[in-house]
Amino acid sequence: MLVVACIKQVPDTTQVKIDPDTGTLIREGVPFILNPFDVHALEESLRLKDKYGLRATVISMGPPNTEVTLRKALARGADQTVLLSDRAFGGADTLATSMVLASAIRRLSQAEEVALVICGQQTIDGDTAQVGPGIATRLGYAQLTLVDCIEYVDLPARKVKVRRKLRGRHEVIEAPLPALITVTREINRLRYPTVPMRLMAEEAAITLWDNQKMGLDEATIGLKGSATQVRRIFSPERARGEILGDGANEPEKAAQLLLGKLIEKDLLYL
Amino acid sequence: MAEEKKIKKPHGVARLIQGKCIACGARCQMPCPKDAIEMNDQGEPVIILEKCSGCRKCLKVCPVDALEIYYTPQEEKILAEIAARTKAAAPAVEEIDKEAAETLARLKEYRGVWVFIEQTAGEPAQVSWELLGIGAELARTLGVELCSVVIGGGVENLCQESFSYGATRAYLIDDPIFHHYRTEPYYKAICHLVRKYKPEIVLMGATGLGRDLAGAVATELQTGLTADCTGLAIDDRRFLLQTRPAFGGNIMATILTESTRPQMSTVRPHVMPLPQRDVSRRGEIIRETVPGKEADFAVKVLEIIDTRKEGDVDVAAAEVIISGGRGMCAKENFDILQELADELDGVVGCSRGAVEAGWMPAERQVGQTGKTVRPKIYFACGISGAIQHLVGMQDSDVIVAINRDRQAPIFEVANYGIVGDVLQIIPALTNRIREMRTQRRG
Amino acid sequence: MSPDIVLFAVVIVAATALFGWSCFRRFRLITLGRDEDRFDKIGERLKNTLVYAFGQRRVLRRPFGINHVVLYWSFLILFLANAEFVLHGLFPAYVSLSRLPTGLYYTLAFIFDLASLLALLAVLVALSRRLFLPPPHIEARSRDSFVILSLVAVLMIAFFGVHASEIAQGTEAAARFMPVSALVAAAFMSGAPLDSLVGAAGFFWWLHALVLLGFLNYLPYSKHLHILTAIPNCYFRRLDNVKTQSREEFTAGNTYGVERVEQFTWKDLFDSYSCTECGRCSDACPATFTGKPLDPRLVVHDIKANLLKNGSQIKNKTDRVLPLIGGGQVGSVSEEVIWECTTCGACVEECPVFIEQYPRIIDMRRHLVEMQARFPDDLSTLFENMEQRSNPWGMAPAERTKWTADMSIRPFEAGKTEYLFFIGCAGALSARSRETTRSIARILDAAGISWGILGRDELCCGDSVRRLGNEFVFDRMAEENIKLFTEKGITRMITQCPHCFSSFHDDYRQYGLELEVVHHTELISRLLKESRLKLNHTVDLGNVVFHDSCYLGRYHQIYEAPREIVASVTGRAPIEMERHHSRSFCCGGGGGHMWMEEHVGKLINVARIEQALEKDPATICVSCPYCMTMLEDGLKDKNADDKVRVLDVAEIVARAL
Repeated sequence: MLVVACIKQVPDTTQVKIDPDTGTLIREGVPFILNPFDVHALEESLRLKDKYGLRATVISMGPPNTEVTLRKALARGADQTVLLSDRAFGGADTLATSMVLASAIRRLSQAEEVALVICGQQTIDGDTAQVGPGIATRLGYAQLTLVDCIEYVDLPARKVKVRRKLRGRHEVIEAPLPALITVTREINRLRYPTVPMRLMAEEAAITLWDNQKMGLDEATIGLKGSATQVRRIFSPERARGEILGDGANEPEKAAQLLLGKLIEKDLLYL
Repeated sequence: MAEEKKIKKPHGVARLIQGKCIACGARCQMPCPKDAIEMNDQGEPVIILEKCSGCRKCLKVCPVDALEIYYTPQEEKILAEIAARTKAAAPAVEEIDKEAAETLARLKEYRGVWVFIEQTAGEPAQVSWELLGIGAELARTLGVELCSVVIGGGVENLCQESFSYGATRAYLIDDPIFHHYRTEPYYKAICHLVRKYKPEIVLMGATGLGRDLAGAVATELQTGLTADCTGLAIDDRRFLLQTRPAFGGNIMATILTESTRPQMSTVRPHVMPLPQRDVSRRGEIIRETVPGKEADFAVKVLEIIDTRKEGDVDVAAAEVIISGGRGMCAKENFDILQELADELDGVVGCSRGAVEAGWMPAERQVGQTGKTVRPKIYFACGISGAIQHLVGMQDSDVIVAINRDRQAPIFEVANYGIVGDVLQIIPALTNRIREMRTQRRG
Repeated sequence: MSPDIVLFAVVIVAATALFGWSCFRRFRLITLGRDEDRFDKIGERLKNTLVYAFGQRRVLRRPFGINHVVLYWSFLILFLANAEFVLHGLFPAYVSLSRLPTGLYYTLAFIFDLASLLALLAVLVALSRRLFLPPPHIEARSRDSFVILSLVAVLMIAFFGVHASEIAQGTEAAARFMPVSALVAAAFMSGAPLDSLVGAAGFFWWLHALVLLGFLNYLPYSKHLHILTAIPNCYFRRLDNVKTQSREEFTAGNTYGVERVEQFTWKDLFDSYSCTECGRCSDACPATFTGKPLDPRLVVHDIKANLLKNGSQIKNKTDRVLPLIGGGQVGSVSEEVIWECTTCGACVEECPVFIEQYPRIIDMRRHLVEMQARFPDDLSTLFENMEQRSNPWGMAPAERTKWTADMSIRPFEAGKTEYLFFIGCAGALSARSRETTRSIARILDAAGISWGILGRDELCCGDSVRRLGNEFVFDRMAEENIKLFTEKGITRMITQCPHCFSSFHDDYRQYGLELEVVHHTELISRLLKESRLKLNHTVDLGNVVFHDSCYLGRYHQIYEAPREIVASVTGRAPIEMERHHSRSFCCGGGGGHMWMEEHVGKLINVARIEQALEKDPATICVSCPYCMTMLEDGLKDKNADDKVRVLDVAEIVARAL
């Protein structure tokens, strides 16, 4: 049986800076990394592999250079990877993305039963947290988001018990397999690839599925299959380095000024 | 030369404007009919000039206007000539796309603004009331009704509560099946309502529950969903303009759903103002039932654990963090930070120095060898801002620094800074917040 | 009259055979280690052997070492005496001192007599020290020590017994030249009947013979194996300073680092046989000093114990009885121990017989990181940041030029710029160290040096990952740096950080990179000497103590340059802490410890600050950004940061411009 981890290669947004003069995004030199949430999805799938003998499969939709990221997954211990890459997949919103990923999982499940699909809670570039639910809904899998602990997987009974982390509470949930789980960053600590595994991954073959192979209706994928359109992108206003008042002599006043700023910028609510 | 009868209008070729591309994910590549766009390793388009026909389809989809049409000087000349010749001629009437017209007609069937009222064990989430505030504005602009959607077990009272916050109609599905939130019954219930009543806008809170539900609903309905919005408005075509931060908050994007309905958004809590509550307002409750019984749903909620009262504080997941460093001078002074944290629903963190001094436990440490945090607001109190601390908190949305030393490196990354004694400023801030809250309530 | 020659011959043959067999068993295990070439430069090696083995130069670094020198030289002399003793015992008719020309015979008799006395006294001093003075470490009082010391004492007493009996009998021709034996004879044997004197002579002779042969056979099984191995170990020492690790070849099928004892080289194993457990490395080790589980002496001892325990299993390729890494018992090194080392090099610097302790720790780290992916949690972030962003904090490359502030950024251009000023991650990214960087820039300008930077293209040198055993990532980083340097045409480089300095100077040399690398303290000191840099005035910084950087000092013997700078700027030589120069005490930041928390014992940086505070300083001068951070943190911990400040050497120079 398979555990499928869905991962995405993203620009390292923490390295993206706004040019203070022009207000434009400085992207030069920003590397692509494996989405920091997806690393934990990958790790969790590997733990399930170790614990329950599931075959860890990693899939990713993206440009051809996503291969680099998939090799990192192999170095950490994934059994197989599939790269979903086609220019027809480009420009996809979450609806069109979940279409491709769900179709790929369906394809995988034709060859071998899928027990679990694991996704990161969200990506750092899009921050939507919508692709996981999209895949679950399309496949009719049980949907378990924000999971911070998989308590057990009962393969013979086709059941999984997880703990979801919500604001102010935890929910303990039992669900049937196959299920889709999105994981928080706290769910596990990451393993580090050993050198023999890295060397193996550098040589390993990466399976590529393009749309010729997938055969999806072009109206449902990529830019055409997207229900949302980006109208405009602009830089947010950001306050930088503003010293408020004379805190040394008038602490009360400085505190008041700060409070005013925080309320004005919609950061605090009273 | 002037005698030449016909001049072929040059199309030019597309060109990337340096520094403007944000590597949005190859939007420009896909519509290109000539396969003239390749993406480089940086995710930026490389236009193959020999193939480009200058059709401009890529220009239209680029969200940041990073592409332009480039003409050679010769072509420029020809263009100028054509422009001169056709100056007198009337501008061509824009052809109405038949397909587009059909779509527009279909979209017109959808009317009304809906807000999903999120509740846990009957207790509503405040973001739902905030959404009724902005929902009312949108409904007013559109000239439609503002409706609430209440789903749960024994939650009818929330309908009246939603009227108090501005809804005029409530769709209620009340069944023990819905006692605990579960994705499948909930999303099916909402889809049932949407298909039956066809709202044009559906808003939910961008909470764990709301984002879980909205993703399923939008996929089932095959419609557009925009996550974690911080701004909503209506444009001249009745389209919902949804503005949200992306790229780790480095850019803002305005997104719309052009050809499907409803337009769905999840909205970040605490961003929209809470409307005035008026218990005298009334509205219409529409009771609905959905087919389906408990046995249809295999997912079971076994237990709900309240983590609010537990001692384990998760600094990494907190939205507001008040951190103290060596400048706090003593262990007792962290109580001052805790008081502010209590007011702001935040947690107290600390620098390595405070752990080293034995004032705080290591689990609260933020930095290289501690937690990496990304809260909405980070207060650095008496923290100088050595690099090993900065790397743990520099991606916070807003950083407030309070330190005696104006030269402290923390001010280099702070959005707001106060130079002064943290032991005076923090209590002043806490008191001011309490005063204002009492005033508001009173 | 001689005792029964036949019996003696049997005993001698048996004892020698046993000794030979023991040695064979011991030394055959050495050959299980990996190859390493230590057979070059014979002349230099012989010279080293003379100076360090026979000259005992490192032993003499400690006052008590004189006792060892006395014992050592007495032993060398008595080796002759004992050879004569054995041969004379076997062939009394052919071999005898007395057959030598009288002058030589008397001289030797005198020397042997005196050497025996000195040896006996040295043993008594050693015994008293162990019994009555606080010993440097508990193993100094081990049974092994007492057995050996007692054997030596008995051997000397037997020597005097034999000769005193002979003198008392009047059969010793050299009696006049054997004052000690004569004294013994006069004191204990005058007037004794002849037959009891003959009996005594026989008794002492056999006692001497048996103790000598017993001692011989005890050697291979005790720490006194060093009597056999220490001299060759000095011969085979590393001729340069220990300051880098060997490269690894990353091809499929290889293993990395050391998990099993035979993965060490033969010389590493030989090292373990050469340890006398003198404990000098333990005394020098900052981890041991602050109560960490690491003790370099025990690591070496564990390697030896593991080799001995697993010896036959290694030969027969069967399962090990004891894992090298794991801990829990002698012969196994725990992971905690492996991660405590700051690679300060104090152990290697101290060892009288040139054992290389900490590099073995790095070998084992390599195994843990590269083969097992096991390391302290703190390091996950570091490794990720180094690999993803080529700096330890994971800052964006654009931040690297922030230090320039109001200065214009000067990119390095081959042909136009003489030096690349390699800022280093700390110098570019840490707010405090940016001050140092700016100071250096000002100094270089004042001296008219032509320099440029790589700006945002600069990458981390990889020092920390290499010391932490992540050789794979280091290898990749090194290749990238070399590509960059080659592209940019860099030939001369100034570094801010001693760790970058040491990496480019030595680690990168293994990759064929030949750069002229200079650390800023060296360059500034040279500029001052050549009067290219002129100071306007002296600066009063109060009491200045100087703290040595391990990677400049012990690694590269740069001790005087920074001190001379301090003297030039303040007009006074800096005050020395108790531990300084080659004995200096680590700040606690090396070997990757900059990125790890200390969970056991006292903090190393606090220990160092306490040593500094003993000298009542107003300024602590450093030459390394790690030392800067660690010592500043230490001052805060001691609540002394309002009275004492830490300044880089470059900063104080900038104040004098």
